[in-house]
Amino acid sequence: MGAGSEEDDLVVYGTPIEREEDTSARKRRAVAEAGQLRALPAWKQEVRDEEGRRRFHGAFTGGFSAGFYNTVGSKEGWAPQTFTSSRKNRAEVKKQSIYSFLDEEDIKDMGGNALETSQQYDTFGFTAADYARKQASKEQKERPSAIPGPIPDELVVPTTNSIGVTLLMKMGWRQGRSIKDSHADSLYESRRNARKAFLALSSSKNDEDQDQSSDKPSLDQAVVGSLEEMHISGNTPVYVLHPKQDLHGLGFDPFKHAPEFRDRKTLQKSRDRDHKRNDVSVRGNLLISNSGHYAPGFGIGALEELDVEDEDIYASGFAYEQTEVDIEPSKISSDSNYKLDDRKRGFYLSFKIATNSEYKLERFLPPEIPDDFDAQHKFPTPVQSAEKFSDSAPLEVPPPEDTSLTLLIDGCAAMVARCGKHIEDFYKEKSKSNPQFMFLSGGDGCKYYMRKLWEHQQKYVGQQRPDSAKSKTSSEKLTAENRGRILGERPLDRSTKLHSPSLSAKEAVQLQSNLVDTFVKPISLDGLPESEKPFSNDPAKQVRFEQFLRDKYKGGLRAANIAPTSTMSEADRARERLDFEAAAEAIEKGKGKKVIDPSSVFSLPGMNEQRFVAATELESSVVPHDEKPIYPRREQFEWRPSPLLCKRFDIVDPFMGKPMPVQRPRSKIENLIFMTESNKGTKDEVESSSRSSQHVSMEGTTEAESQGTINDPDIEPSSMQRPVDLYKAIFSDDSDDDADEIPNTQPMDPAKTSEGANMALNRLVAEDFLESLGKELGLEVPPERPKVLSRPETLSAAGASVSSQNERITTTLTEVKESQISLGMVQVGNGNEDAVLASAEMLDLKCEEGNRTEENRSRHMHRQSKNHCPRSDSSSERHMSRKRRSHHHIRNGTPESDSASERHRNRRRKSHSRHRKGRSRTPDSDSSSDTKNERKRKEKRHHQTYTRDTDSSDHEHKERYRSSSRRSSDKDRSRKHSRHHKHRRRDHVDYS
Amino acid sequence: MSSSGTTAQHLPRTEARSLSGHEGAVLAVRFNRDGNYCLSCGKDRTLRLWNPHTGAHVKTYKSHAREVRDVHSSSDNAKLVSCGADRQIFYWDVASGRVIRKFRGHNSEVNSVKFNEYNAVVVSAGYDRTVRAFDCRSQNSDPIQTIDTFQDSVMSVNLTKTEIIAGSVDGTVRTFDIRMGRETVDNLGHPVNCISLSNDNNCLLANCLDSTVRLLDKSSGELLQEYKGHACKSFKMDCCLTSDDAFVVGGSEDGYVFFWELVDAPVVARFRAHSSVVTSISYHPTKACMLTSSVDGSIRVWT
Repeated sequence: MGAGSEEDDLVVYGTPIEREEDTSARKRRAVAEAGQLRALPAWKQEVRDEEGRRRFHGAFTGGFSAGFYNTVGSKEGWAPQTFTSSRKNRAEVKKQSIYSFLDEEDIKDMGGNALETSQQYDTFGFTAADYARKQASKEQKERPSAIPGPIPDELVVPTTNSIGVTLLMKMGWRQGRSIKDSHADSLYESRRNARKAFLALSSSKNDEDQDQSSDKPSLDQAVVGSLEEMHISGNTPVYVLHPKQDLHGLGFDPFKHAPEFRDRKTLQKSRDRDHKRNDVSVRGNLLISNSGHYAPGFGIGALEELDVEDEDIYASGFAYEQTEVDIEPSKISSDSNYKLDDRKRGFYLSFKIATNSEYKLERFLPPEIPDDFDAQHKFPTPVQSAEKFSDSAPLEVPPPEDTSLTLLIDGCAAMVARCGKHIEDFYKEKSKSNPQFMFLSGGDGCKYYMRKLWEHQQKYVGQQRPDSAKSKTSSEKLTAENRGRILGERPLDRSTKLHSPSLSAKEAVQLQSNLVDTFVKPISLDGLPESEKPFSNDPAKQVRFEQFLRDKYKGGLRAANIAPTSTMSEADRARERLDFEAAAEAIEKGKGKKVIDPSSVFSLPGMNEQRFVAATELESSVVPHDEKPIYPRREQFEWRPSPLLCKRFDIVDPFMGKPMPVQRPRSKIENLIFMTESNKGTKDEVESSSRSSQHVSMEGTTEAESQGTINDPDIEPSSMQRPVDLYKAIFSDDSDDDADEIPNTQPMDPAKTSEGANMALNRLVAEDFLESLGKELGLEVPPERPKVLSRPETLSAAGASVSSQNERITTTLTEVKESQISLGMVQVGNGNEDAVLASAEMLDLKCEEGNRTEENRSRHMHRQSKNHCPRSDSSSERHMSRKRRSHHHIRNGTPESDSASERHRNRRRKSHSRHRKGRSRTPDSDSSSDTKNERKRKEKRHHQTYTRDTDSSDHEHKERYRSSSRRSSDKDRSRKHSRHHKHRRRDHVDYS
Repeated sequence: MSSSGTTAQHLPRTEARSLSGHEGAVLAVRFNRDGNYCLSCGKDRTLRLWNPHTGAHVKTYKSHAREVRDVHSSSDNAKLVSCGADRQIFYWDVASGRVIRKFRGHNSEVNSVKFNEYNAVVVSAGYDRTVRAFDCRSQNSDPIQTIDTFQDSVMSVNLTKTEIIAGSVDGTVRTFDIRMGRETVDNLGHPVNCISLSNDNNCLLANCLDSTVRLLDKSSGELLQEYKGHACKSFKMDCCLTSDDAFVVGGSEDGYVFFWELVDAPVVARFRAHSSVVTSISYHPTKACMLTSSVDGSIRVWT
């Protein structure tokens, strides 16, 4: 027994334990360290090879060994290869064979057998087809063909079966058969055999007995049916199942662009088929959602929620029937269907639909409805019919002496009236023994009870009837009007109210009289005899009275041609009206017997049915008296079509060459600045409401400083630095901080300043006026160049340098105007905000004084919709600051102010004023959000760092006022308040 | 009725056919330029193209996410424009039924939309109190001009060669003359539902919500006539003039259609066209043929 042979048979599991002497010392150490290493974090572990040597070294460690072994692992290391040109020495195109993927061992295993693809495994039969073709061509080459060339070869392609087909054939399947369960097949086969036998039997019978021929067709049919079944079970090509019936060319798809008709067509076809079979198939139209009060449509998307808009405001409970109109004439299609049938018969000679089907559907008859069944279900109504009681009213009976019994009876009657007769029965049953309830069962007080019950019933029915009627109508039809009323909408109306408050008194009177008009029967004026002229002594008054009667006669709608007598005062008119009213009433009472035919009153039928008492109608009836002559009223304004619109309408731009009107900021920088400002505005609005205590102290500082510079309130404390001011960050340098001191040290004479501003303003106004006048006259007024140049580009520093003088002024005007509007808004609003604006407004006091002259003009020039509430806040901020800028601008217009320092200062002031706004808010602790506070804190931090940087004087300044801030702040604020109020009052006068 | 002689007898009063297919209210029906086809749109979020003379339903256009309020076809019949409560304005290719462009900008429902004479501009009017003009020729889907002088929802917009005329719930009809650069405001005092132009473009017909149709002289702004008798208080309903400008046609909330004589304003004919609110009326540009649509989901062709 050799050891070798034994080893061959041995099966070894696992790895053999290595002998001690094989492993080197290093390896042992490595193994020992491995445990430790694993405990180390990843970046302290070392990579070692199987022998425990470090494999990876740093740039300066490792020495020769590292260089030798760790780079390429060869003695040569990185030996540069000699260059061989691929141009001359092309890479060979290697043809891969199976052998290139096998190594020697594999080849050895193969034992000399060649490896190649099998002809037998051929999924789709391509290879076999190829093979067959080759074979055929080979054959063809050998024998001469009648038609020369390879054409017949291409046309007549030898076919082969795919592997699946071959397999199926092997399993017993034949071409033209369907693949189906062999078991079913066998069952079918056996059945067929049975039938055949039966047929044979019957035919033999048939020979002897002709009478039974009536049976035969059915039998024949059965057989035929079975035969045809066999055919059907065959593998029918698609073109047989769906033969081409139309006259379109091959490949033409009439529904190419209208795919929606395709399925409609198929639907129709299937429906036709259904009709033929008399097969009632209920096809639920899933698309139509008949979900009550939502409008029928396609339903809404999965991501959409039902909305108000989906509601069916028309509330039309109609059933929508859908009829299709085929774009092809229907006759042809039906013809083709018949043709199809014929053809089918041609295809399958014996195809006929079996008359008696194999399996019967089990049908259930509908449940028997008993004869006495009434389809209308009557609820046991608790409320007795009122008629029953009404015709048999019990006599009035004095209540019983016992007041408690009276009360009881009363309550009981009311209860019974409300809930119905069964309650009475219930009571009767319940309190048989109770002497108190004896009245129910004919005791004393019974009569009184009957009477009371009747009364209550009458009352209840009376009050219920309108209710029920109302509910009926509402359930019947929920019109848009009703819905609006339910939702509390005001009926549609002209949205602009033109009547001023002074009208209201007169209106109230008229409204009342009109209301009376609507409810009082109209008096026919035709029937007014001569004698009935109550104001015959005053002809004018009589005329007016007749007019009044005519109005009355016309009901709610007023004629347009009534001119109010202008000579009368409002009070007189109202009094007269009341007189007329009384007179008219007297007249009507006098001839109450006269029957007025309403249809004669209204020439148009349908007019009577006006069921309005809506506000619009009332208004419209009010309108004619004073305002009707106004309508239709025509106004004309200038409107500027955009150049592109003109181009598209093929019209020459009427404003071509003229300067663009004030538009939204176009340049990026401008945009940014405005953005930040407006954002700031809104931000601050909220910020002010959630101010921290830090901020209060800050404000104290601010106000103290502003107190310090009280002579020139325009100048803002230098310590106010806002991070959001991009413009400043870009365009200003640190020297501004020094320049900032200048205004502080040189307080300007306010009188002088305002004088200068006024001067400049007047000049600007004059210029503007002249220019616009020239424009209206069609003259081109050349802008005054030198003046434009002399004006520092404060406004257009943000990139709008192209803007002409005129434009800038209009900007100013618009801004002033808009700020007024916004001011008005704020004044109406919160008192705190008033205080907020107080400071800002105060700054602009002078400016506004100057601008006031322009305001009237601006109001004419710019039609502004005053009811734009939403943007008032932010815009107020923006405009405030812009206004301030404009103020500077105007001041800069004075001749002495063209120096760079001045410009600098102005710019600084501008930015400061912008900052200050945010800071000097009065507290309003409505809402506080963390983020807001956070932001504020950040700003504060910024501010502090900034102050550290500023020069000593500024710092000192600040310090001084910080100490005094707390003391002075309250006083200061109150002073500001008062001043603001004064100012505002003045504003009111001006604006109203 | 007797006063208006022979022409009144030729008014389209007999129902030729009914075009049904819309599920839900049909909000607008419009003849195309030459009157051979018509377009309808409604609550079922579809536009439909019909041949009203044969009753054939030619095509359905689906893309709107909410009800479609108005539709207009270009004068070359190649494009459609439609607007709806989904704030979108779709610019369609008629043949393929694809949306070529969506115009955005309206902040709210869009009530009315029209092509201009050269099919280059689409002008739309919306609930957001604006009229916006969109350019069809560029790829830009933002409006080239926005008119926001209205104080309330703009219900209807109409275009002439040089003007944009729009009626609003604020009671005004505003005419924006592009050639003159002038905005003319005609304050009617009542919410204007629909405006339409006479065929000679000299008169303006405004359907007001006080159940009155008013005829204005476009150049002077003078009120020429008022037509009453129908009910129009809460729905947007169309009115129009007949092809020869002899009669005014208007729908009523009770399903009636009224014909008024233009000059003297008597009701010359009145018949019940629908069972419910007549939302839209379109008169054939040349022939005595009329389309009406209603909340009951039907479109009827009258000859």
